[in-house]
Amino acid sequence: MTGSPAPTSIVVRMRVNGHDCEMLVPVRLTVAELLRDRLGLTGTKVSCEMQVCGACTVVVDGDPVSSCTALACDLDGTEVLTVEGLAQGRDLHPVQEAFMEANALQCGFCTPGFIMMAVALLDACRGADQDKIREWMDGNLCRCTGYAPIETAVTLAASRMGAGSRGDDH
Amino acid sequence: MAVLPELGLVRSGDLDEVLAAVDYDHAPYAGGTELVPAMGLGLRRPAAIVDLKRVEALKGIEVDADAGTVTIGAAVTHRRLSDHPVVREHLPTLAAAASRVGNARVRSTGTVGGNLCFAEPRSDLGCVLLALGATAEVRSARGARILSIDELIVGAFETSLEPDEILTTVAVPFEPPGMSYWKLQSYERPTLGVALVVTESQWEVTVGAATERPTRAVIVAGDTAGLAAFVDGLELSDDMTGPPDYKRSVLRGYLERALGTTR
Repeated sequence: MTGSPAPTSIVVRMRVNGHDCEMLVPVRLTVAELLRDRLGLTGTKVSCEMQVCGACTVVVDGDPVSSCTALACDLDGTEVLTVEGLAQGRDLHPVQEAFMEANALQCGFCTPGFIMMAVALLDACRGADQDKIREWMDGNLCRCTGYAPIETAVTLAASRMGAGSRGDDH
Repeated sequence: MAVLPELGLVRSGDLDEVLAAVDYDHAPYAGGTELVPAMGLGLRRPAAIVDLKRVEALKGIEVDADAGTVTIGAAVTHRRLSDHPVVREHLPTLAAAASRVGNARVRSTGTVGGNLCFAEPRSDLGCVLLALGATAEVRSARGARILSIDELIVGAFETSLEPDEILTTVAVPFEPPGMSYWKLQSYERPTLGVALVVTESQWEVTVGAATERPTRAVIVAGDTAGLAAFVDGLELSDDMTGPPDYKRSVLRGYLERALGTTR
C-alpha cells in the first residue's frame, strides 16, 4: 500500500457493563486481553484460544463472541457485556440464579462462558426450546457436569424470563 | 496467553480503498474466526489487516427474481445468512447449513467469504454452494473475475485468489427441487457432508469435509455401479475423526438410504 504505514494502535470508544470507556488499544490486542489485563475483568476465562471451548464468551451488541480470538479494535462503538455486568448489586441475573439452583457447575471455570452464551440466547430468543438451547449451547465445553444440569438451568431461566425476543427468532 | 505480533490496521468503508490496500502482507479481515487463530499460531504473519466489515458493498443479500439468483456479500455472517428471509425462501438448504456452522459465536462473527477463502476442507458452505452451482466474484484493483466454486477452491486451504484479490460476492441460483444436505459431525467441524439434488433422471452428489475440496458427480438415476465407482474413487482424509474406510462406509450407507438403493 502506498502512503503512510497502517496504524498499529487505535482509539476505541465503547460501553463495558454500562460504563463508557475510551482507550488507545494496539490492533493486536484481543478482547480477552483488553477485558482481563487492562480492565481487570477476570471473570472472562481463557482456555483453548481457538474459539472452540467457549470459556471466553462475552456478549457484544447482543451477539455471543469468543473474546480470545476477537480483536479489541472491533469494539469501537459497541456495547460489551461480561459476567461481571449481570448482577444488579446483590440481585443475580435470572440465568445466574438458575445455574445455582440447578447445580449447573462444579469447578466453575467454564461457567462465565456458559452463562454469557445463555444470556445471548435468551436475549435473542426468550422462549428458546430444547432444540434452540442445544443449537446455541453446544459450542461450549464443560469437563465436569455432563451438561444435563446446564441444559436444565438454561431451560429454567428461559421459562422464567418468558416469551419474546429482540426481533429475530434465532 | 498467546500474544499476537505487532499488527497494523487498514479500515475504510470504500471498496476501492480496501482493494488498493490488500496484498500478501495486508490480509483481508472480517470475522477473524480463522485469521486470528492462524496469526496466534504463527501460521500467518501479515504486517496489517484490512478490515472489510465497513464496506457496505460486501454486506448485501439481494434477490434477482428474473435471473433466479440470490447474491450474497462476502462479509455476510453465517447467522445473518441463516436468518435472512430471502435466503430461507429461495435457498432453504443453504440457510439450514449456515445455522449449523461451527458454534453460535462463529456464526455471529464468521462470514461467508472467510469460510470459502480459508478453504478449510471440513466445511459445509463450499459443499452446498458447489451443489447449487454458485459463482464467486473476486476483485482486485486490477479488475474482477467470475469463478465457479470449483475454480475458487482448488485444494485444502488453497484458493485460486491472487494475493491482491478478495472475494466480493457469491451469486447463488435458487435452490432446485429435490435438494438436501446431510452431515456427520462430532466436533466443531463436519467429518463428512453430502449435498444431493435428486430428480427422476439424475442424481447430483456433492461430497465435502472428508475430501480435500468439495467434489461433485452427476450420475444417471438408477446407475448404482456409477455411484459406487464415484464413492470408491474419492480420496478421503485420514484424521482424528476416522480413517478413509470408515468415512467411505458412512458415505455409502447414507447414499443407499437417501437414494433408496439399499440392497
